[in-house]
Order: sequence, then structure tokens, then C-alpha cells
Amino acid sequence: MEVGRLPISAALKGKLVSAGYTSLSILSSLSPSHLARDLNISENEALDILKYAPHDGRIDTSSGHHVINGAQTAWDMLHEEELLTRITTSSVDIDNILGGGISCGEVTEIGGVPGIGKTQLGIQLAVNVQLPIHCGGLGGKAIYIDTEGSFMVERVLQIAEACRDGMSANNTISQNVHAGQIGMQPKDFLENILYFRVCSYTEQIALINYLDKFISEHRDVKIVVIDSITFHFRQDFEDMALRTRLLSGMALKLMKLAKKFCLAVILLNQVTTKYAEGSFQLTLALGDSWSHACTNRIILYWNGNERYAYIDKSPSLRSASAPYAVTTRGIRNCVSNCKRIKLM
Amino acid sequence: MERNRRRARFTAKSQSKGRRATSSPSETIALLLLRFCSPSAPGRRRPCKKMASLKRLETEFPILDPDFRSFCALRGIFTVQDLLIHDLQSLAADAEQQPSSERFVQAINQVLYLIDGLHQPWSNGVELMEDAQKSKHVLSTGCEGMDFLLRGGLHEGQVTELAGPSSSGKTQFCLLTASTIASKHMGGVVYIDTGNSFSAKRIARFLNQIYGPASEEMQPRGLEQVMNGIVCHSVFDIFSMFDVLHCLESKLKSQRRHDERLIIIDSLSSLITPILGSSGSQGRALMVSAMSLLKKLAHEYNLAVLVTNHTVGGDGGIPKPALGESWKTLPHVRLLLSRDCGSDTYHVSLLKHPSIASGKAAMFIIND
Repeated sequence: MEVGRLPISAALKGKLVSAGYTSLSILSSLSPSHLARDLNISENEALDILKYAPHDGRIDTSSGHHVINGAQTAWDMLHEEELLTRITTSSVDIDNILGGGISCGEVTEIGGVPGIGKTQLGIQLAVNVQLPIHCGGLGGKAIYIDTEGSFMVERVLQIAEACRDGMSANNTISQNVHAGQIGMQPKDFLENILYFRVCSYTEQIALINYLDKFISEHRDVKIVVIDSITFHFRQDFEDMALRTRLLSGMALKLMKLAKKFCLAVILLNQVTTKYAEGSFQLTLALGDSWSHACTNRIILYWNGNERYAYIDKSPSLRSASAPYAVTTRGIRNCVSNCKRIKLM
Repeated sequence: MERNRRRARFTAKSQSKGRRATSSPSETIALLLLRFCSPSAPGRRRPCKKMASLKRLETEFPILDPDFRSFCALRGIFTVQDLLIHDLQSLAADAEQQPSSERFVQAINQVLYLIDGLHQPWSNGVELMEDAQKSKHVLSTGCEGMDFLLRGGLHEGQVTELAGPSSSGKTQFCLLTASTIASKHMGGVVYIDTGNSFSAKRIARFLNQIYGPASEEMQPRGLEQVMNGIVCHSVFDIFSMFDVLHCLESKLKSQRRHDERLIIIDSLSSLITPILGSSGSQGRALMVSAMSLLKKLAHEYNLAVLVTNHTVGGDGGIPKPALGESWKTLPHVRLLLSRDCGSDTYHVSLLKHPSIASGKAAMFIIND
């Protein structure tokens, strides 16, 4: 039944079928009052149903390619991709393997063992997005969604101060001070990070549903960092089928947000062990069905005493790894003799 | 080939008008139902009349007057479909006993005549063979190992499923196939992307590889023309996907010749997983409905369809394709993909194919 494909409730579908409307083309020639009388429903409900009736106005022939509304040809997308700016991670090596930095319009998942620096990287990106475009940022605000409580404001202040020092050092070197450019103070960096704390999975889902409206009102948000996406779904979930459905629905909503507002979505994830091919391996949490919910995936791991970032999944980047370090000033390139510092 | 269109007539045992009595009503019904299930030759379009309620047919056919309708309503018949389901023999016997039995019999005949005009005409094996040889081509995917496994490549008119764990190369294969078909077969590609993974840069790299470095075919003008043949839609829920497919269908219906050769949905499983398995069978019904629409598009407009699926853990930790048991029967061809960790080598095995034995495997490399 073609009517079964409409996004309306099952009761309404049943009424449509029993009244004899089984295909969509009948609907396009009906008036709402006629339909309301036939089905014994209110006129508002009839209007809602008729919204989905097909009409030929959707095909856009103006561009000469007979492209359906909302679609893009690969050639147009190629030009758009070239114009997209990226967000720097403050480590030149990681930026190189990412092709310049974190790209907008995509969902990037970053996973690793505890203590490797996922939250540090998340905070660094939330600060870097506020830098002006010539410094590697996007001049926008950041949304930080904290599920574990690992966001430390003092650390953000430290990183913001280091950023400001870095910017003023660049300015004096290149003598590129624009007239009227206000130097960014660490306080300004803190002001532009919008922080949400969620304490349960229902709050998390509600917040992600709300983000669409929120971001339409705050159009200068350019990055959403969720730290960490898996925390509330790993404990106390008896119904695994429900968990899979909720997670895949959430993944689709985040993808839609990234595409619609052209922002970067960063998901930080924990690791767990998996028994495969006779041995235990580390793998990202939430199972196989979550693993396709991101566009890019970066895995952070230890190699001896050094931290490495590895591109695990990407549609256009080659697999590569790069070393990095976590310093008091934030994420930076790894100097070859830097050792692993145990934080007590 | 002449088609035999037999008209089924239903008559009560009345002596008037000299109508010929036919076989019994239940045989008639069986014949009518058979016709609805017969395969159709591609390119046939249904006539525009649709199944409707008897009330609305009255304007065109005044014989279906209110008396007849109330006669039917008493027996629970409101639409043409209800009439089909109902036992026509008992209906005839009842009609006999009514005062205006002749009119009622005429009305029933009229409705059955309408139904007769709705089904697709018969076709036979010779026509199907001609169609398979002339219109349903085999499209090379650009990947030698896969073409070898599938004996040529993707078949137009068939839906192929590619399942694999994360980062096993499904998107890469979809992009490679799209580039190959857009360039070598000069066909249009409809790419439905659910995870923002369509990368135009990667397509440009594949096209440069296909044409080779510094060949005179690869002028900037040529690249633009080929890339304009690949159209990408971003959808994030299953109803938007239905919208896109319906628009595509109406577009193909209105054009006499069309360029499109391939529909790719990457990935269909991410659209279906949020609705599958909840209380009620809505999710499964939508999944089956989506596949039947894709199969219809593939058959009628000679398109190949490629959908991707993810995997879940199976027995003993071996990954198996997601979407459950009822999904397994839906695609025509099913492939399972895997990649050696950190390398460019991919392994693909054939799980199901209409004309090749399953269990075969192949290996291929996709270069940067």
C-alpha cells in the first residue's frame, strides 16, 4: 500500500485504507473538507494528511539538470568542499593527517582509553573554534555537552590564555594587526562556550532534540562537542533493542544538525574490550551498530610513551597516524623526547 | 506478441438478455486474483483508474446507484476491493432475491469490468528473455575482483546489498561504483547519503584514476559533465527517503528516455534501525515497502540499485548482516565485505545471488 509510507499514525492509515484511499495519487486531487467527511476526522488532521500528497512542484528544472529540490550534483559539492574552512587542533601533525583540521558538516568520533586526552582535545577544539579564520578557527561559538562531569573551567582558562598568547605572538611577528581588531581575552573565550550538563539518557536525548531549535536561534555556533556520548547508555540499560533504536535515532539527528547548519559535531567515546578472532581487542563502546553513526573516526592510543592519533574511518582521508602531546598550554605537537607524565 | 485479455463476466442464472453463463464465480475470482499476481512486461504503465469506493464511482457509472450501494453496504462491501474479497456466489444468490435483480447483476458486472482494466497484461518467457537481453544490462563496478565475483558487475533490475563492519570499505566501494558508472557508462547516478559521507573530492580522485594521468579525455569540461551526472541527496529519516524516491519515480515516468542507471543508498540500515523492532510491525512494514519500491523502480526503469548494511555480532563473534531475518529475503544479491586491518585489501564473499552459487569469495584492492 502506498499509503503505508506516509508518516502518519497507524490509526489514520487504517481509516484511509478502509475508506478506499490506497494510493497517493488519489490524495492529490482531494479537498480537505471532503477527506475529513469521508474519514470522520477533523479538518486539521485532513490537512496534515494532504500535506504529504505528491505534487509535481518539487522538481526544479531551472538549473537545466532536472535536479530534484534539495539535491546537489557532485560538481557543485566539489566546489563547496574546497571552500570549507576547517578547525585547527593546535597540533600541526594532527592537522596534516586531517587535511587541515576538523571539517564542518561532518560528525567526527574520537575514542580512546581513559587518560589519553579526549576531554583535552574536546576543550581545545571548543576554544579553537572561536579564533578568527586566519588563525585556524571559524570565529564562532561552541556548545559543550558534558555527561560525565569532566569539564574543568580552570583548564579551559589555562588553554584560553595560551591561545591568546599564541595569537598576540603571531600578530607581532606578522604585523597583521587589523585596525579595530579587539584582542581576545580569556574571558571572551569562556563566554563563547555554551555549556550543558546532562545527568541521564533521557536528558541527553531531549537536549539533542532541542538543539535544532537552539542553534537556529544562535546561528554563530560552529561546533558541538559531546563528552562523552556513551556514558549514560552503558549502565542500567536492560532493553538492548531499545538502546540500539535510541542510539541510531540520535545519530541521525546529529548528522542532520551537522549538515543543516554546517557545523562540526565531535563525539567523544570510551573504549571497551571485544572478543574477536581468538583474542581480546580494544574497540569503541556501544557496539557495531553505533560504529556507522559517524562520518570520521579518530582513535587515540598509546605507543610506548607517546600519544598517537590514528584515522580509523574517513570517506576521503588516507589512514595515517600522528603523534601529539598534552601540555599545560593544551594539545600541541609532540617533541621527540617528551615522556609520559603520570598525573597523580 | 498478442496478448490475450480474457474478460471475466459474472452472471446470475437469469434467463433475460441471453448472456452466456460462464464458469462459476469462484473460478472467476481465482482468475482475477491470478492476474493481479502475474509478472508484467517492463514499460507497461497501469491505466489511471484506481481502486476506489463505490460511492465515488457513481459519478462515472450511474448504474452504481444508492440502492445497489445499500445492498452492498448491508454485506459490508464499501469499496471495489471489498467486492473482490467477498464471496460472489452468495452475492449473486442474494441479488437474485432482490426486486431489481437485473440492475444489481449489471452493476456487479460493471465493477468487475473495471477491475479487469486495472491489472498488468500477461507476458511470457520469450518476452522476459528479450527484455533481459536488450534492456537489462550489466554495469561494471570498476573493481576487477568484484566484477569477477558477480560475473560482470551489477545487474540492472536487481537490488544488491553490501554488508560489512564499520570501516570495511562500503562507502569507498559505493563512491568507486558511482564514478565508474558515471564515466564509463555515461549514466546518471542517484546517491542517497545518510551519514554525510559523500565526498566529491574522492569521486574526483577516482575519476582521475579512471581516465589516467594527462589524457586528452580528461579536460575540465569533461570532468564537470561527468560529475554533473552524479546527484547526491542527504536524507536523515526514512520518510525523506520515500519522498526522494517518489520524486524520482514521477520524474522518470514523465521522461521518455532517461540517463539514470544506478541508485545508491548509503546506508539503508541507518534509516531502518531506529524504527525496527519497536512494538507493532510498522518498522518492518516500512522496510518491506521501501524494498518493494526500489525493486519496482529497478525493474520498470532498468536501474541497478546498491544498498549498504552494517553488521552485528553473530554466533561466536562472527559479524553477520544487520536488519534481521525478514531482511534476508528482500535483496536479490547479498555481499559481505571485510578489510584487513590497516591495509587496502578487501575481501568480499557472496551470500546470495539469483544465478551464481553462494559461498564464492574474491579479493580486491582500492588504491588511493
